Amino acid sequence: MNELRCIAEALAATSSLVWLVPLLPLLAALSISVRLGFAVSGDAAEPATAGLARGAALAVLLLLATIVLGSFAVEAPRVVERGDWMDVPGVNVPISFVLDRLSLSVACVVAFIGWATLHFAVAYLHREPGFHRFFLALCLLLGGMLLLVLAGNAVVSFVGWELCGISSWMLIGYADERPTATGNALFGFITNRIGDAGFLLGIGLSFWWLGSVEWSAVASGAIPETVKARLLVLGFVTAALAKSAQLPFTPWIARALEGPTPSSAVYYGAVMVHAGVYLLLRCEPLLLQVPDMMAALAVAGAATAIYAWLCGRVQTDVKTALLYATVSHVGLMVLACGLGWFALAQGYLLLHALWRGYQFLMAPSYLLLAPSQPAPLPRWLATNTFLYTAALQRFWIDRVAHGLLTRPTLSLGRDVREFDDRVLDRLIGAPREQALGAGSPVQGNGVAGRTLLRISDLLQQFETRLVLEGEGGAMARALQRVGAALKAIEALLEQPRYLMLMVMATFVVII
Amino acid sequence: MLRAFLLLPLLGALLVAVFPSRRPEIIRRAALAVSAASLLFALTLVFLFDPALAGQQFFETRPWNPRVGSSFSLGVDGISLPMVVLAALLCFVAMLVSTTISSSAKFYFSLLLVLETAMFGVFMARDWSLFYVFWELTLIPLFFLIDRMGGANRHRAALNFVLYTLGGSVFMLVALLLLYDAAPGHSFAMADMAQGGRGLPPATQLLIFAGLFIGFGVKMPVFPLHGWLPLAHVEAPSPISILLSGVLLKMGSYGLIRASETLPGAMLAVQDWLAALALVSLVYGSVLAWRQTDLKRMVAYSSVAHMGVVLLGIATLNVTGLGGAVFQMTAHGLAAALLFLLVGALYQRTHTRELGEIGGLIGRAPRLTFLLSLALLSAAGLPGGAGFIAELHVLVGGFDRWGGWVAVLSLGVVISAAYALRVTGRLCLGGTPHADPLPDLNRAEYAAASALALGIVVVGVYPAPLLALSAASVREIARLFGG
Repeated sequence: MNELRCIAEALAATSSLVWLVPLLPLLAALSISVRLGFAVSGDAAEPATAGLARGAALAVLLLLATIVLGSFAVEAPRVVERGDWMDVPGVNVPISFVLDRLSLSVACVVAFIGWATLHFAVAYLHREPGFHRFFLALCLLLGGMLLLVLAGNAVVSFVGWELCGISSWMLIGYADERPTATGNALFGFITNRIGDAGFLLGIGLSFWWLGSVEWSAVASGAIPETVKARLLVLGFVTAALAKSAQLPFTPWIARALEGPTPSSAVYYGAVMVHAGVYLLLRCEPLLLQVPDMMAALAVAGAATAIYAWLCGRVQTDVKTALLYATVSHVGLMVLACGLGWFALAQGYLLLHALWRGYQFLMAPSYLLLAPSQPAPLPRWLATNTFLYTAALQRFWIDRVAHGLLTRPTLSLGRDVREFDDRVLDRLIGAPREQALGAGSPVQGNGVAGRTLLRISDLLQQFETRLVLEGEGGAMARALQRVGAALKAIEALLEQPRYLMLMVMATFVVII
Repeated sequence: MLRAFLLLPLLGALLVAVFPSRRPEIIRRAALAVSAASLLFALTLVFLFDPALAGQQFFETRPWNPRVGSSFSLGVDGISLPMVVLAALLCFVAMLVSTTISSSAKFYFSLLLVLETAMFGVFMARDWSLFYVFWELTLIPLFFLIDRMGGANRHRAALNFVLYTLGGSVFMLVALLLLYDAAPGHSFAMADMAQGGRGLPPATQLLIFAGLFIGFGVKMPVFPLHGWLPLAHVEAPSPISILLSGVLLKMGSYGLIRASETLPGAMLAVQDWLAALALVSLVYGSVLAWRQTDLKRMVAYSSVAHMGVVLLGIATLNVTGLGGAVFQMTAHGLAAALLFLLVGALYQRTHTRELGEIGGLIGRAPRLTFLLSLALLSAAGLPGGAGFIAELHVLVGGFDRWGGWVAVLSLGVVISAAYALRVTGRLCLGGTPHADPLPDLNRAEYAAASALALGIVVVGVYPAPLLALSAASVREIARLFGG
């Protein structure tokens, strides 16, 4: 009995190593990028890269399993702190990790899917030109996801959140020779940035109103004013909706399928999409304070579920259909959160992520595995022309967003650019295209540049006239004049009568 | 020990002089070996030096002319030691890149070695008469080197250089004699003269200081006395430009620090005027550097601006500012040497120094491009380079003393960034490519240049050891002024 106790305590002690969990994949990513810097390529280099990534994922999985076992045995410390990240007066951000049922369960699922997917990708991407780049992005995403899930405060979570964003951008734009891929990567990234803005708003407001960004403080933060609480929740909810591709942010995830393989689709299809729901679960007590935001969440979730279900029905390829199915299920989770059924949402999240991961990895083989043709569309959808077209066109969200957001922003940008070109650049004298390369090297643009040019002209004149010109310069002329005068005096002195005069004068002085 | 160090290059010069002049390569190797030995010797000094002590170390003295009270005394402290190492390093670098000298190698290398001894002597002399002798001794090899090996206007440049410096050192000599006369000890030893000088009435101190300042100000150079500098730097062969700008200019500021030690009363009285002069030099040098299209001339004027930073640092008379000035002396020594080396290499390949005629280097000479950009940006005070640390120290020290006036320093930095970026942009990235083939730096040049660049970056990223080396001596000087 006593020995068991010892083992349990040893297991529990591993929870202080939780910082290694997000760090290991990030270190793997770092070493892969160093290898990339040395321009590794070819078949021979692949096992090392894959080994680094898989080793890190496996180590993370084992470590997490130990921590979970330990937390079963002994009541593990719920928050592990590892020093301060920032400690400016008024802003204190510790590097803290939270270990509770929510974070540990989600982290385990994430690590497991990550490990499985890395295994899958080794064969799938064999001899692809971007093999190393792909593993780099996968490791980055895994590390980011784990950091996001395990972080004990909003700022550290946000670091993970951003790592996910940037690595999904890398994954979507994997085929960087195809313009659609890079365009879609950018689209996904920018949509996610809207959510990031919400997250940052939440972080800033919690600093301001709660004085702390620890999840424990944020979530339970009792803010008496409903307006403030609503604003705080609005930030986090926007972030969650964008990351989880809920309406009105859904279009990015359909475009994210531009990624090369099921493996990357797994990541943002089965893992990253759930990050938003995770964030909602984390903020549970905070959400409960603001019932109207919960209602809005429920509406958004329900609308997304219906929308994604309709769109998914009319798809003809496996990956897109799977993706819409995912989105509609995530919509249901958001609906559950909105209705206050958080425990249900959590269970749903874990099971759905695992199941969807399996499906995405199987997607390339579905045509072989499927015994027969897929079921035809139901009659009511097939005959309703409007609904069918709408579903096929994904309810024109892209186009509406383009008309309402992108076009006005673009034309505003053009106007600002024009103002910049016509007024500001001329005033400040920002170097123009032609300034580099052609014309005299010394030229001044703008007010500042022209003033400098004028002053430098004056100084150069001064320098040339007074200092540099040996012959004919002002200094030399003055010297010559003095020299001539001295010469004249000397010539006079050389004449005998003046010499005599000098001698006599000397005698007079002496006497 | 210092005596052996001092005489080593001189003996090398004698050795080089007896070699047959038909074999320039052997002469070059021998000279290089001698200067490498000097560099090793200097580095040994650094290891043996105890930075915690403020006073002179390795001090040795023997009477030279007892009747007038002069002595042959040598020593180094935290201010002179970095300069000695810098001089040894730059002499080595200058000899390393002197690969094209063939017809008059004997003449060239022996003069260069004599110059090295003279520079060591200036920085190590602990007796003002000895200091003066070495000060004048630097002129002789430099005059011949510029006059015989320089560019088209070399005669004028050499004459101009010697006349200016001699004119300045006449004032210095008179001032030293005045000090000798006024101070009670009747000895030329720096310590005795400092003791005597501190006791003098302020008016006398001021008079003596004025003479010394003219002598040192010509060398530094300070704004109205800089007429020799652009000519000499442009006309001198590029290894000589490296030494001129890297070490010779520092002799002026080094002398000024010694003078402020000797005449603290005068220094306090003229502190504000020195700062004003420094700021004028700074802006004047930067603006003119920006104005030049000749690369060597541009670097020459930028030296005026950078020595303005040194003067400003000295004028603060507090620990931070003086420390910054001493640091800037090293930093500018490295940066200016690197710039002259690279511009010289460029001139050797393209036979032009006009900014408008060269361009597009990045694809053709990547090493040259990389090092040139690094040198220009660190000279403009980019963080990570040595110049940044120095400018920051001077800025902080100056702010303590004069408040917002030091913003002028930032103006100078902005202008220097303007020309640095312009040159980088035109030369390295854009511009009209030069028609002739453009080989990249050869091995000797690359080794020398990357050693200097490494020095700049290491000192810039990890400045603590160099600051610590001179900290005690600087504190000792600042103590005189209550700072």
